[in-house]
Amino acid sequence: MSGALIHRIRTHNYALPLIICLFFLMTVILPTGSMLTKIDWSKIGSYVSTDLFRESLINSLIVSSISTVITLILATLMAFCVHRTRIKFRYGFSILFTLPMLIPSISIGIGMINLFGDNGIVSKLTGLVPGIYGPLGIILGSVLYCIPVAFLMIGDVLKYTDYGPYEAAKILGISPFKQFLSITLPGLRGTLISACFAVFTLCFTDYGVPLAVGGRFSTLPVYLYRDVIGLLDFSKGAFVGTILLLPAVVAFIIDLARSREQTTNFVKTAFRVSKSKLRDTLAFVFSCLNALFLVLFVGSFVVMSVITKYPIDMSFTLEHIQGVFNRGLLSYFGNSLFIALMTAIFGTVLTYLTAFFTARIESKVVGKVAHLISMLSLAIPGIVLGLSYVILFNGTPIYGTFIILIMVCIIHFFANPYLMAYNAFQKFNRNFEIVGKTLGISSFKIMLRVFIPSTLSTIIKMASYYFMNTMITVSAVAFLFNAMTKPLSMFIADFTGQMMYEAAAVVSIIIFLTNVIVRASSALTAKMLKKKGIG
Amino acid sequence: MKDRLEIKNLSKHFGDKLVLDNLSFHVNSGEFLSILGPSGCGKTTLLRILIGVETCDSGLILKDGQDIAPLTPIERGMGIVFQNYALFPNMTVLGNVMYALKNNKKTRPKARERALDIIERVGLTEHINKRPHKLSGGQQQRVAIARTLAVNPDIVLFDEPMSALDAANRIALRKEFKQIQKEFNITMIYITHDQEEAFAMSDRIMVMSEGHIEQIDTPRNLYQHPCNEYVEEFVGWQLKEKIKSIADTTGMFE
Repeated sequence: MSGALIHRIRTHNYALPLIICLFFLMTVILPTGSMLTKIDWSKIGSYVSTDLFRESLINSLIVSSISTVITLILATLMAFCVHRTRIKFRYGFSILFTLPMLIPSISIGIGMINLFGDNGIVSKLTGLVPGIYGPLGIILGSVLYCIPVAFLMIGDVLKYTDYGPYEAAKILGISPFKQFLSITLPGLRGTLISACFAVFTLCFTDYGVPLAVGGRFSTLPVYLYRDVIGLLDFSKGAFVGTILLLPAVVAFIIDLARSREQTTNFVKTAFRVSKSKLRDTLAFVFSCLNALFLVLFVGSFVVMSVITKYPIDMSFTLEHIQGVFNRGLLSYFGNSLFIALMTAIFGTVLTYLTAFFTARIESKVVGKVAHLISMLSLAIPGIVLGLSYVILFNGTPIYGTFIILIMVCIIHFFANPYLMAYNAFQKFNRNFEIVGKTLGISSFKIMLRVFIPSTLSTIIKMASYYFMNTMITVSAVAFLFNAMTKPLSMFIADFTGQMMYEAAAVVSIIIFLTNVIVRASSALTAKMLKKKGIG
Repeated sequence: MKDRLEIKNLSKHFGDKLVLDNLSFHVNSGEFLSILGPSGCGKTTLLRILIGVETCDSGLILKDGQDIAPLTPIERGMGIVFQNYALFPNMTVLGNVMYALKNNKKTRPKARERALDIIERVGLTEHINKRPHKLSGGQQQRVAIARTLAVNPDIVLFDEPMSALDAANRIALRKEFKQIQKEFNITMIYITHDQEEAFAMSDRIMVMSEGHIEQIDTPRNLYQHPCNEYVEEFVGWQLKEKIKSIADTTGMFE
């Protein structure tokens, strides 16, 4: 019915969704496709039979698996400590446990050296020197790197559990242990599986930690990094990149299948935690130990930054910090700030619009496609995305500029802010658009005057997520910067390579402090908004 | 009385399912027409087609003799009030009512004046600076109505507007609805599944079931001269049972 079609086109504005779809085509689909086509298929045999490739692949699988298991156990225990006990300072612990999210992964690797290296702080204190370079260091670093992610995922489920079934079980006389087995565990199962794959993918595709502390132990991402940066073999790089893509795709599919069986979370009653001195004592001790470790960890950077030469010369000095600034690193700090700020601004706008379009506009097919593409950015590891951008955009005007760096960061970190916005939109009354149509107000205007003011805290969360992650990223930008646009985080690898650990520590602290400030101010702003009853 | 709205042979499928089956009826200018029927009978779909957010597979919708199918909702001169009010949560009562007026170049100069006038006529003047979450259900409902009335529609559609309110509120609001209708002289099309409510408020009631119209008539005629068994059961019998249980338990009519 042409009349119906005309009516449909008149009442739904397709311009914006089309632009968004085109954008994703250009920034997600095309790059990935071009990377896949770059592989010289005839050479695959030679790639696979290379000893170093095989070694790296097996190494990656082993350390990632071990790290995943350890991470999940620790993160689950931490999540239970925060959400299922009555210990003091629960909120403080939960903030501490997510601290590693504020520094680059390569810094985490360096932190391990700071603590456990031959001249490490813990090594000197305890007299034990574990062979930190190699798989042990990678595992320790990866665990620290991934715990925040797993902790947040599991914590979210625990936070929003409905107490109803537990109450019913209590009345029926079912013991707490049985309750745990029959209610808690099944409820957690899906999240644990998702977390498992997410953590594995993070470990498998991270090159920061192995680069810092891996020593001779080669993992796949380091292999890729050295081969592409070092030897500029893009075909091999594309091949390795594709392999790195696989666990992420599996994780993505698993998550997709899970999201279908998930029903809306109705928190009918908030969870009530019972009293238990034994449990709380154990939990408190555990949490304190973790907190202590994290404080030591951050402290190690401070020590490395302001102590002349630990442990030989323990005098306080500012020369390391001065040295960093004398190298003109302030302007590169400016680069990082600029890229992070632009990513935060443009990323938030783009993400918000995309989520608005997929959550609120009624066309089901287009909505689902856009949703899928948005989530796809989650499936592509940073190093792979960066590589695909090199392959696709090499020679174009945006190559070698800030624009490509901002673009890659927006796409790399797209999925989580998108979900934040999408979930926020779902909470609103479905009928706003219809009301708008009958009052002659366009959907766009409704977004501006109703949705944005009502979702301010979500917008702040999105922007700070983009900012903090862009500050710490080393993977997505690794292949795309040049001398002019180099972000500060990339110097950490340089300094590490030149054994200038003090300088690396200074840079790490600068990035860390910047993110702490951003996180603190966004949390405060969100609190203020809540008090005023907005957003 | 002039025909405000005339529907001819309206049909709608969702996939294989026939949701509206060749409906034909008219709505008189200034009347209160209830659409009464159980869940799933197609009344909400009909409403969405009338307001213009859903298209029909076949049939004609004529408003004052003009085919409104190609018109967008605002162009149709109709308003709609929902069960869950859909008030803009970040705006005050005044803001909600004024918004559409401010958005239009023609009405912008006198937007505040007009909004205050309508708010007064629905009896909410002392709440103009309050946000929706500070109001009761009945008050929010009145804001939703005021917001719709601000753009001067000829017809206002209501999608089970009182379902979310408690009994005392509903009975109180009934009078207000009728008063508003009289004051603003609008045609009201009112969806409900509550027989008693339909009977209390309507000039005519359209009884629907499974996508077609069983009977469309005055309340009195529906009760005294039901055209088939369905109407007799769904309407007459239900009312009788209600009254009977009240009579038996209270001795009201002894």
